Amino acid sequence: MTFLEKQTDPTTPMHWNGDMQADYFYSNGVAGDKFFKHLMKKDTFLASECPKCGVIFIPPRLYCEDCFCDIPDENWMEVKSQGIIRANTTAMIDAHGDPLEEPVIMALIDIDETDGAMLGRVKTEILDMDLCGLTVKAVLRPKNEREGTMKDILYYEPY
Amino acid sequence: MSRRVCVIGIGHTDFNSITPDVEWKELMYESCQKAYVDAGVDPRKDIDSFITCAEDYLEGFSIFDEFVPDQIGAVLRPCCTVCGDGLYGLGTAYMQIKTGLMDVVSVESHSKISDLLTLGDILLHAFDPVFERPVTGPVERPRYGGSPEYTKEDPKPLVGSTKEKQRVHPYFLAGMEMQDYLRTSGTTEEECAEVVVKNKMNAFFNPLADYEAKISIDNVMGSEYLFSPLKRLDISPNVDGAITFVLAEEKTAKELGVDPIYLSGFGWSSETPWLSTRGMSADYATKSSQMAYKMAGITNPRKQLDIVEVDDRFSYKELQHLEAIGLARPGEAGQMLMEGELAKDGAIPTNMSGGSLGIGNCFEATGMQKALEIITQLRGHAAKRQVADAEVGLAQAWRGIPSGSGAVAVFERGGA
Repeated sequence: MTFLEKQTDPTTPMHWNGDMQADYFYSNGVAGDKFFKHLMKKDTFLASECPKCGVIFIPPRLYCEDCFCDIPDENWMEVKSQGIIRANTTAMIDAHGDPLEEPVIMALIDIDETDGAMLGRVKTEILDMDLCGLTVKAVLRPKNEREGTMKDILYYEPY
Repeated sequence: MSRRVCVIGIGHTDFNSITPDVEWKELMYESCQKAYVDAGVDPRKDIDSFITCAEDYLEGFSIFDEFVPDQIGAVLRPCCTVCGDGLYGLGTAYMQIKTGLMDVVSVESHSKISDLLTLGDILLHAFDPVFERPVTGPVERPRYGGSPEYTKEDPKPLVGSTKEKQRVHPYFLAGMEMQDYLRTSGTTEEECAEVVVKNKMNAFFNPLADYEAKISIDNVMGSEYLFSPLKRLDISPNVDGAITFVLAEEKTAKELGVDPIYLSGFGWSSETPWLSTRGMSADYATKSSQMAYKMAGITNPRKQLDIVEVDDRFSYKELQHLEAIGLARPGEAGQMLMEGELAKDGAIPTNMSGGSLGIGNCFEATGMQKALEIITQLRGHAAKRQVADAEVGLAQAWRGIPSGSGAVAVFERGGA
């Protein structure tokens, strides 16, 4: 080190326990509102298709990231809340590094009839580590309990 | 433009798993002081501009750039913070010098990650808050620090700001990406394990490294799956430390009488943040390397590069990145590794420093750690790990989970 005076007694360094209050109110946005308001009433998803390149986005968006153009209302469509697992992992630890009470299968699910994917949890009796290619469908909360957030999608299961 | 940019000074602290004896400003001061002495410059007179690279959330306070000038010698001088990996700071310095605006610029990045008690939560905050983060676990936070709701009977948790136990650790994304990489490239888990074995072995020859170890593929394969197929030993452990470079225009470097290492190419690229539409094949590395190669006049990287340092914060990332930047054909990096091609005397010596697996994950300083090794090698100062006749080297950086952003820098020795 560059300092002339250094701490050499390991019992003396002191610290202060700080915390950071950081709570937010996240707007779902125009596209998100449309998606979640639909999901509160129906068991299907909404997707949006770029008028120029034809890519179908889910989660739906108001603009295309490739063409950088608007996606108008008439380009929104209803799609089934199901798809095929593109990638998955079984997570064993929580955000603090402690073991999860139960392992959680996290998956990226290519949603049928679209070019996009949804991140979701999967519940299955299949023990294979690699679930890619498995067809799964969303298990949703009962309609009267939906609140218009991702929590309305409880998990995905094979069908 | 004929102005050429070179590195004229490097400085770094020791890298340690914890650093309770010093605060983050003292870490920065130490690495800066060493770099300024190495370059032979007085920051209060000779350095025109100061750049730091940091992320507020990882630091633990807001508006990091306000806290910077004093410990790097930059009070009332041109000074800015890049919110990203240290290599982005090098790129910013490159542009400031290349345009003629500045002649001498310092770049600093560091990790004091041991100060952060809730890293997993902080990284989860980097996932899309509407569609992705809620999937990782409950979003309700029963209480928060400082809330009057805390009572003697139900006190605030001592560590961390949340009691939630069921939020999945954000590194799950690396597990998913590794699975995709193994399947699409044909690479095996054993080959990834060998990356860990190699880098932790390389670290024995780097006094800077904190996680050197003599282990076998079986040790890695036997460590538990945390995010299958990603195992505990596939993940680089965290480390604290700071790194500073002084860069200068060629003429200034010659006046100072230092042996310059030229920054001859630089590129950077950002993938879409949406997991739904982004690839899993490190396209950010491909794009940034192409930009850097073009600038540095590199047409055949396999032949022209003598040494490389690529991001290896997860074992598979080293192989994926080597393929992405054109040093291995798709699916062949693992095989090259097993055949010794990535060793000191191989065709593409890779992560001779020990990488993040051997040194430790130093977060925003990771790219600078890669660049530090390249400079040390090109200067011929790498002692037992020195690659013979190293003339041209590459450092590649990735911003880490869950990002799809990265940068590449190419360095050359002498007046090439």
